[in-house]
Amino acid sequence: MRRLVQLGQGEKSAIPLLLFLLIGFAAPLLAVIWFSFMPARTFSLFAAPSLANYATIFESTSYISFLWSLGLAAVTVILLALICYPVAYGIVRVFGKWAMLLTLLFTIPLFVSENIRLYGWILFLIKNGVLLGSLKSIFGLELESILFTRTAILLGMVYVYLPFMLFPMTLGISMVPSETRDAAFDLGASRWQVFREIELPLSMPGIVIGFLLTFVLAVGAIAEAKVMGGQRIIPITHDIEIAFTYAQNWPLGAALAVLLMLVVGVLVLLALRRFDLDRFLGRR
Amino acid sequence: MAARPTILSLKSVRKIFGTLAAVDSINLDIGEGEFFTIVGPSGSGKTTLLRMLAGMEQPTSGDILLRGERINDLPANRRPTCMVFQSLALFPHRTVGENIEFSLKIRGEARDKRKARALELMDLLRLPQAYYGKNVMKCSGGERQRVALARALAYDPQILFFDEPLSAIDYKLRKTLEKELKDIHRETKKTFVYITHSLEEAMVMSDRIGVMREGKLVQVGSPHEIYSAPTTRFVSEFIGDVNVIPVDVAGDGLLKSVSLKDALKGPVPPKGFTSGHLVIRPEFLRFIGKPSEADNSVSGRLYNEYALGSRIQYQVRVGERVFIVEKLRQQMFTGKLDDEVRIGWDAKDSILVTD
Amino acid sequence: MANSSKVSRRNFMQQSALWAAAFAGGGSLLPGVASAAREKELNILCWEGYNSAQVLDPFRSSTGATVKAESLTNDPTMINRLRAGETNVWDLINVNNPWARKVMAPEKLIQPLDKARFEPFFDKMMPAFKAPYKWAMDDAGANLLGMAQRFGPYSFVVNTDKVSRATAEDQGWNLWNDPANDKKYGILESDDWNVFCICCIAGFDPFKVHNDEEVAKFTETAKRVFKGAKLVGDIATMNQSMIAGEIDFHLTGGTYSASPARADGHPEIRGVTPKSGPMEGGKGGISWIEITSQVNNPQLSPLASDFLEYVQSPEMSHKVAFAEGTFNPVAQMGNPECFKLFTKEELDAIQWDSLEEEMARSAEYDIVPDYDKLLDIMTAAKREASGG
Repeated sequence: MRRLVQLGQGEKSAIPLLLFLLIGFAAPLLAVIWFSFMPARTFSLFAAPSLANYATIFESTSYISFLWSLGLAAVTVILLALICYPVAYGIVRVFGKWAMLLTLLFTIPLFVSENIRLYGWILFLIKNGVLLGSLKSIFGLELESILFTRTAILLGMVYVYLPFMLFPMTLGISMVPSETRDAAFDLGASRWQVFREIELPLSMPGIVIGFLLTFVLAVGAIAEAKVMGGQRIIPITHDIEIAFTYAQNWPLGAALAVLLMLVVGVLVLLALRRFDLDRFLGRR
Repeated sequence: MAARPTILSLKSVRKIFGTLAAVDSINLDIGEGEFFTIVGPSGSGKTTLLRMLAGMEQPTSGDILLRGERINDLPANRRPTCMVFQSLALFPHRTVGENIEFSLKIRGEARDKRKARALELMDLLRLPQAYYGKNVMKCSGGERQRVALARALAYDPQILFFDEPLSAIDYKLRKTLEKELKDIHRETKKTFVYITHSLEEAMVMSDRIGVMREGKLVQVGSPHEIYSAPTTRFVSEFIGDVNVIPVDVAGDGLLKSVSLKDALKGPVPPKGFTSGHLVIRPEFLRFIGKPSEADNSVSGRLYNEYALGSRIQYQVRVGERVFIVEKLRQQMFTGKLDDEVRIGWDAKDSILVTD
Repeated sequence: MANSSKVSRRNFMQQSALWAAAFAGGGSLLPGVASAAREKELNILCWEGYNSAQVLDPFRSSTGATVKAESLTNDPTMINRLRAGETNVWDLINVNNPWARKVMAPEKLIQPLDKARFEPFFDKMMPAFKAPYKWAMDDAGANLLGMAQRFGPYSFVVNTDKVSRATAEDQGWNLWNDPANDKKYGILESDDWNVFCICCIAGFDPFKVHNDEEVAKFTETAKRVFKGAKLVGDIATMNQSMIAGEIDFHLTGGTYSASPARADGHPEIRGVTPKSGPMEGGKGGISWIEITSQVNNPQLSPLASDFLEYVQSPEMSHKVAFAEGTFNPVAQMGNPECFKLFTKEELDAIQWDSLEEEMARSAEYDIVPDYDKLLDIMTAAKREASGG
């Protein structure tokens, strides 16, 4: 008998891995999507599917949480861009032998759990804590704590996601050949024109990757709002968590998760369309 | 060639990196409209020198004068000079046209004027007009060279600097581009300052050549002077295979070589010259029958022969010493390998150089 | 009880992925499905404490068994894990009092204990737990459904340096009806208990079906209480914020949440039970009692009942009371052998001085029939409080 599909040795040996990926990656995703069509508060996957959960979401005030998540992520990305570009630029071009040390300093916190670092901030910022307590005892200053405010949430997010913007940017800037900068300068461009015409566009791949990475991570952030924001803001991820825990409404949580994936997916695709990485790299 | 007014003048220019003098006390005048090439092996300081001339490095001491004006501290973007880089440094995110027009855009020239100039330059450099909107990274190696040159010319510099732009190009194309570059030089009448590690390349294009070694300019002269009258063994060897015989000047003015029995006849040593090298180019050596047929002769074993296109090169071993003889293909030597042969040369064909 | 562990995004994703994978794989990825005999294996689903090494390790070494304990921080999640088909995974489930009798037994999620073996232990417990103890028995009073151990009052916590115990007990839930207290308080992120507490603030009993008027009052109260909160957070954040002076008191709390701060040298942090309130009989506060039951596992490990007996001993009871995280009184303190193991500091940490009267003033945690509706209202209120 002739087989319709002839599999080579390589393809055959790839099957276990493919199956593993399918089960480990695609299946959970599909299960979440399918779950979102189940009736509210069921735990079975075999009920009649409907769009009821989505209707519930659109009738509720969930949009507030979506907007907070997207808004906080957007502001975080902008703040990170403003902070990280100069630092990344310094690491690549200015700091020389200190760049390594600086990079290390930005990397080390990644080895400590996010929650522990955020609790560290609480101890630092809390009333009578490290910062305000010292100010009070040294200068007699009594200031209000910024803890449990939106500023605190942004501080937490900027702090936690900084490396994810910094390192792609560093890579992006280091990819700009120094001779192209020299050439532009030699052709009469001012430092600012060299930056705008050459360095910025040529480091764009790193910047875009940093933007996308931090945006996607920040939209999924939950601990910053919970810990440093004192839940003054409920991001969509927190809503999803409540649905999966206290509310025990898994289908609703799944529907929220699916909507979040859709929104983020569409935004990322739009961004990639706008910033064509290949074009920046001169491949098109 | 008629004497030219000086455009660029270097006065004791030094550049120190740490404890190393990358460029050491260089004095040089380059003439208006001249094609001047600086030749040197890698690490000789030629790139550092060029970067100082272009304004990308500043001399540690000494002065660089452009038409008599000191430009040491003038940054590259304010110098009326422009450089073509070794890597070409084209802007990969820009089209051919945008690359060429870059300096015009910086100057704020109108779009249509810019384009007209770019197309004019593309014509001059034999780039098809259709390439105007092409991504520069999709151009071939030779096309990129032309774009880089057009981009530099669009700046309308008083001096164009070249940092080994042909070094990464294959031999045949390089030969073509060398000549093209010389033609462009003729057409634009601009001053070209070119650096390369290939004296051969320098010979093809240059009006004058300066040879650099360890940060110092060891000899400056026309290609002919550099070829036929090198002043040092370093320069004489830079052009290719030469026969170099270490010699001492004996009391009677004859030249003694440690490795050869007979005293050698050569040029009259200048005053104070006590020891150095006798240089004989391989084409000036000839196979002879009797010692009397040339001013100097040695006999040895024909060890090997190499075909170099239009010429044949022979290796003759005299004791421990190797002599290289070159003949045109038409005047091929008929001896066999391992034959005992006699080679000779005339005193006028040899050059005395210092170490 | 309170949600003391942080459910980070990663955690959440892991859990969801595990779940989805379990569904995809027909449950085959979960432990314990193998049909081999389970003599040397025990799986416990519990509040944290029973999963600590201090409690489990001696049992592991004496039996040589593989003991796995997973701790969760709210009852509905645990019950729903059994409902979703994990009855063949777990052997013991440790949740708060009403669930065994009112939900898990009728739904056949748990199975009765050997009465002869376990009933005698109740006689050694504190007087309130004497057999037949209501929450350990089924409706008919025939079957023993589980064992009691940890318990405590759970209403709210104050910093007595800022609000005296007497004031707090007198004012009770009205602390949250006083506009002067805006931004002076926090709320523990324990949403099931927050539903109860907001009912109390609104002035009605949480553990009954609520009419439209009460639901409207609940909605208004939830919005106001969340809007006025300085922060919502976990136990550590609440205690830290009270000690630092960011807040003066917080909603939902008691010995369970205040004991870590008290044990850490902050006796001013104190769980308070209001003198009076809207609960049946005018009771002011709410209390909880954990009941540990045998899961209706078709292949129940014989170690399940052994473990239940093991934690009844005075030594283990003391360890359970002071397991990592939070500290709680245990019913076994009625046994002098057990009680003498507690130091003065430990008794102070769990507010032993007022335990009896606080329990007497508290209604026992019960099922809220319209919990889902109230929780959704509260979740929306919380979200809208952030919308401004």
